[in-house]
Amino acid sequence: MTLSGETVARESTVLEDVWRDTPGIGGWLTAVDHKTIGKRYLITTFLMFLAGGVEASLMRTQLATPSSSLIGPDRYNQLFTTHGTTMMFLFGVPVMNAMGLYFVPLMVGARTIAFPRLNAFGYWNYIVGVVFLYVSLFVNTAPDAGWFAYVPLSGPAYSPGHRVDVWAQVVTFTEIAALVAAVNIIVTTFKFRSPGMSLNRIPLFVWAQLVVSFMIVFAMPAVATGSTLMLAADRAINTHWFNYTEGGDALLWQHIFWFFGHPEVYIIFLPALGFVTPIVETFCRRRVFGYTALVLANITTAFFAFGLWVHHMFATPIPELGESMFTAASMVIAIPTGVQIFCWIATIWAGRPRLTTAMLFVLGFIFTFVIGGITGVMLASVAFDKQVHDTFFVVAHLHYVLIGGGLTPLFGAFYFWFPKVTGRLMNETLGKLHFWLFLIGVNLTFFPMHLLGFDGMPRRVYTYSADTGWEQLNLIATIGAAIIALSIIVFLVNAVRSWFGGELAGPNPWAASGLEWATPSPPPAFNFLHIPVTTSRHPLWDTSDDLPVVTGLRTDRREVLITTTFDARPDHRHDSPPGSIWPLYLALCMALLFIGSIFSPWFVLGGIGVSLIGLAGWGWSALDGPGRERVDTGDEIVDMA
Amino acid sequence: MWWGTLGFMVIEGWTTALLVASYLYFRQNYDAWPPLRTPYPSLLFPSINLVIMLVSFIPARRAAAAGKRLDLTAVKRWLTVFSVVVIPILVLRWWELWALNTRWDSNAYGTAAWTIVGFHTSLLALDVCDTIGLTLFYYLRRMPPKAYSDCSDNSFYWYFTVGICVPIYLIVYVGPRIL
Repeated sequence: MTLSGETVARESTVLEDVWRDTPGIGGWLTAVDHKTIGKRYLITTFLMFLAGGVEASLMRTQLATPSSSLIGPDRYNQLFTTHGTTMMFLFGVPVMNAMGLYFVPLMVGARTIAFPRLNAFGYWNYIVGVVFLYVSLFVNTAPDAGWFAYVPLSGPAYSPGHRVDVWAQVVTFTEIAALVAAVNIIVTTFKFRSPGMSLNRIPLFVWAQLVVSFMIVFAMPAVATGSTLMLAADRAINTHWFNYTEGGDALLWQHIFWFFGHPEVYIIFLPALGFVTPIVETFCRRRVFGYTALVLANITTAFFAFGLWVHHMFATPIPELGESMFTAASMVIAIPTGVQIFCWIATIWAGRPRLTTAMLFVLGFIFTFVIGGITGVMLASVAFDKQVHDTFFVVAHLHYVLIGGGLTPLFGAFYFWFPKVTGRLMNETLGKLHFWLFLIGVNLTFFPMHLLGFDGMPRRVYTYSADTGWEQLNLIATIGAAIIALSIIVFLVNAVRSWFGGELAGPNPWAASGLEWATPSPPPAFNFLHIPVTTSRHPLWDTSDDLPVVTGLRTDRREVLITTTFDARPDHRHDSPPGSIWPLYLALCMALLFIGSIFSPWFVLGGIGVSLIGLAGWGWSALDGPGRERVDTGDEIVDMA
Repeated sequence: MWWGTLGFMVIEGWTTALLVASYLYFRQNYDAWPPLRTPYPSLLFPSINLVIMLVSFIPARRAAAAGKRLDLTAVKRWLTVFSVVVIPILVLRWWELWALNTRWDSNAYGTAAWTIVGFHTSLLALDVCDTIGLTLFYYLRRMPPKAYSDCSDNSFYWYFTVGICVPIYLIVYVGPRIL
């Protein structure tokens, strides 16, 4: 079926009218378009990255010389806690979610995400967490017990005041946001895929997002339980979870926290591994080597990730058999990760690599991440771990893993998908300058920290004396941090200049293979004029000129096509809800409930009371609009163009 | 879509499992269980409430079936019955909490027991409000056909809420007599 230009223009206008968020301030507050929410997440998380970076720079400046008096111990404690909390909870996890929330519907060929209002609700919760943490920092009430808030230090006896309460509730808000994002991505992947996109045709980016979403569902409740139901309760209503004089247990906190905290690392870098495959495929002009192995490696990594948490606790009295088990598990997880690395190397080997900025970041990722991985295997040894426990060696390791495995591929993804989001290409020369400065800066900052760790420099000290001999390596690390900061400035200049004046990209500037490139850049509110039908893993490479599409969906309302879970056969039509103020209202109710609970338990009851009004309003407004209709078979509504 | 409901059931079920695991973890810190001559939890109110919860499956199931048939009269009737049944469950929960015979601030045992039952109470209260709210919606406005699936979603969540109450009852109320 071939449509005339006039028909296409008319249909596009109608669809745009139906799907776009309402203009104006009201529309801004009620927006539910997954791309709008995704962009807001991306921008806010990047601002958080900058804030965390400023905190890191301040700490590095303080440590550049011995006995520095630039920052006192109290402010330093707040800085490293806020830095860790920001990078893990307000940047690392949500930025990866943001990439999924923006791109998963586009990559599976859907008009929207499964639960658009829930998506908006998650974002507003995240914003409450951001504002709460940073207001507390500026009024000298920021958390100061470290990003993992070990008890008894964080308990009521040793941390009076409200600093730790702020941490506990910031974590709660970000967990709510992460959990609703995870449910959204799972359901979108399982039920909103375009016809023909059976499970074995799902893009690896989406596989990574799916696996990570399942990890979030099982990991985040642990920290939410620990922070809200346990730590905050111990501090507010005198429960005894961690009070050993009443039978409580400080080690319980470590178990609960690291049961979340270790998978958290994988939650941050598994999505990044999903970025790598399409970048490698596109710039090597070759289908990825070992699709099935990569999917299985993803799933295996996720399983193992939940069996490693005790290796964070080797310095506590854990039974020897338990230590051996967790040592073995910590080493075994290197195998699926290794499988992935070898698959990408094989793809690059057999292809014709084009060294664009995005591709350079992928190569930088492999280099940096492998170093972080190797020191991880070293730390899996109990004897070694006890030698370097709580030293700068651990700081070096975790930054190599998170920057190498998470941030570096994320930058590659920014360069790769920036044209899709903005419609314009980023400048490649500035991009390459960013890459080299970043790679040099990261290694100059963090490699010396391994040596500082061997020399016995503990982490989280605000200063050291000159006779320790740590001065030179610390100065080198600080120079490295300045180079990283310079690289980020180059990136910012490039991003802003390109967004407003970069070269126009067109729908598919890289000649990539995924469905997200089958729609204009930036994508319209309705994502696709017609829902594509997927016939292979690389639809645009295999059917570039004649992409089959679905017709028959209504254009005069927000109708989406639901498909079956395994084979993605058309199942029924479903109406997606329009924008609403209730997600914002309900997020404010959550703010009242959780922030208020710091000051009085009565706020919990008050918060629940006002939330009920929000739930009723949400439910009532969702009832307006037309219903869903069953379709008999896919064949009746699939029309090959 | 019940997929979303399922997602939140997994999250809440898992949270409950973590709380129960923590409760059992505390067992190693005491010689006796319940510790420090704390009396056993009473079984009267928890047992009565569990029976009522299990009986409430009947109107829940009937309401879901009526929703599937788009039978407005039956939906109204069974949702009303369902609402009437769930209210005493929430009221009895108050006595159930005190039937633990300890307080949240007595010791770690009391903390864990109260938190498990308290967290479950929040799930229970949420679904009671959802049931009553849904019932009121049917009386207050014309419900579009797509909304009828909310009846089965609501019942689905109720099966889960009651379902996890059974292991909680066995571990928190009966368990101290065995552990």
